[in-house]
Amino acid sequence: MGSSFVKDSPADKETGIYSREIRHARPALITLDEQIKAYRTIDYTTLPALFLLFGGISVFLFALTVGDWDFWMDWRDRRWWPLVTPFSLILLPAVLGVFMWNMFRLPIGATFAVASFLVASWVSRIMNFHNFAGFPLNFVAPSTWIGLGILIDIVLLISKSWFAAGFIGAFLFGLLTYTINWPIFAPYRIPVEYNDTMVSVADLMGYMYIRTAIPEYVRIIEQSTLRTFGEAVTPLTAIFAGFITILHYYLWVWVGSKLMTNIWIRKVI
Amino acid sequence: MASVIQNQSIEIAQPHSDAAEAVEAVKFPWLTLTSLSLGLLLLAGFYRWYQNTYSFTVGLDYFEPEFQTYWMSLFWIQLIVIFSLGAFIVPYLWFTREKVLDISPRQELSRYYIILSILSVGGLALYFALNLFTEADAAWHQVTIRDTDFTPTHIVLFYAFIPLMAIGLIFSFVWIHTRMPDYVGRVSLPLAILVAGPLLIGPNLGYNEWGHTFFYAEELFGAPIHWGFVTLGWAFLALSGFLYQCFARMARLTDLVGENYLEDPIDR
Repeated sequence: MGSSFVKDSPADKETGIYSREIRHARPALITLDEQIKAYRTIDYTTLPALFLLFGGISVFLFALTVGDWDFWMDWRDRRWWPLVTPFSLILLPAVLGVFMWNMFRLPIGATFAVASFLVASWVSRIMNFHNFAGFPLNFVAPSTWIGLGILIDIVLLISKSWFAAGFIGAFLFGLLTYTINWPIFAPYRIPVEYNDTMVSVADLMGYMYIRTAIPEYVRIIEQSTLRTFGEAVTPLTAIFAGFITILHYYLWVWVGSKLMTNIWIRKVI
Repeated sequence: MASVIQNQSIEIAQPHSDAAEAVEAVKFPWLTLTSLSLGLLLLAGFYRWYQNTYSFTVGLDYFEPEFQTYWMSLFWIQLIVIFSLGAFIVPYLWFTREKVLDISPRQELSRYYIILSILSVGGLALYFALNLFTEADAAWHQVTIRDTDFTPTHIVLFYAFIPLMAIGLIFSFVWIHTRMPDYVGRVSLPLAILVAGPLLIGPNLGYNEWGHTFFYAEELFGAPIHWGFVTLGWAFLALSGFLYQCFARMARLTDLVGENYLEDPIDR
């Protein structure tokens, strides 16, 4: 049916030239086995490539915008780390989420993005910070994000709505960043006495493993009025992080949808 | 002046015979993909070994003669090799292009498989450049005091792997626009953005080095002096648009002959 359409095309008879539309109507495969093999080939090559690509891109963007706040255990404080990390990291789940959902109806974009980021982070922290620069691995181990990616994907799967995925999923992404990472951080929050001064285990590690190119060996991050808020600091920061993560998620969902537009440039100069 | 269009139709010569098409095998270039990936792994492995071995032994003082021997020699060698590769391969791809692109749908699908293999090798290269060697730079600068713009980690990152990635993208751009029917006579905007990525960090690379010699001796990685580098990561997000164009076409090519001749997804 389709083949005869191409053969009978006036363009074909008169000029021997197929227009792009006519050529597009012509498929390549003949048997079902060939088709299944083609689909598998595309899956087996594209998904690992995307895992590498988005892992590399996300680590790069994360390092440039959050950087030291997540490199070091003693920098993961109650004020900046829970705020800037979800705000920065939500970019990739948004863009990849749009790609996976709009193109394939797969609600896996956020989980895929944070999983690729986590694997890439582990590779870097082991090979660069531990093996190359000599820091203890538990001082530079990455935070965990996979549970937060799953939350966004679940909301998208149930609601099929970007509005809900952002309003609920991205809010939870920011809100629960500190909570989901608490089991990793807890041992480093234990107070110890060193030179008659009480510091946390993380602070002591930061003091012992000198970083020559950051401003202070011992940092006081909880400045200003924050200390007067007592135990409310962390939930307060988490809620604020949730709200700004929503906004950033919407921004990059929009950018992701624009990037997926089929645009060609006909005339360059 | 650039004009951006959508749903543009051009004509491409396409004589072919269905009988000949039936016997053509649609093959994925697994051997090429494996060979290139192994080659890249060996190259990255060599650089990693070199960094681990010589960064802290002869890479701390730019004014030592050993630094010039071990690091500046490498710097010049890799720049000459990479630019020579670019100067040879880009004209080669252009002058060996097919003037009349008369390929069958099965040949076209095979060429899309080549694009997928380029994507895989490119993914590996990007992984080394943006993950491994970028954060090696971050880790290095945290434990050293720098006295040059050409630190061991910068020589590997900014003057080896990012230029390699840039010329790899330019090769792919030229190959795709001279060998794929959909790309002849027009330019894919997402692919153009993707290729521009490594070039976009040029200004911030200059600003970064200038700033570190002038007003910012510290090396906080999330500091504003580094923010301009994000253009590279953002440009690579255009990959989703390029994949959209590829998959839309492959979706039609992987239909079975005799089925589904409705609207074309790529011109939807």
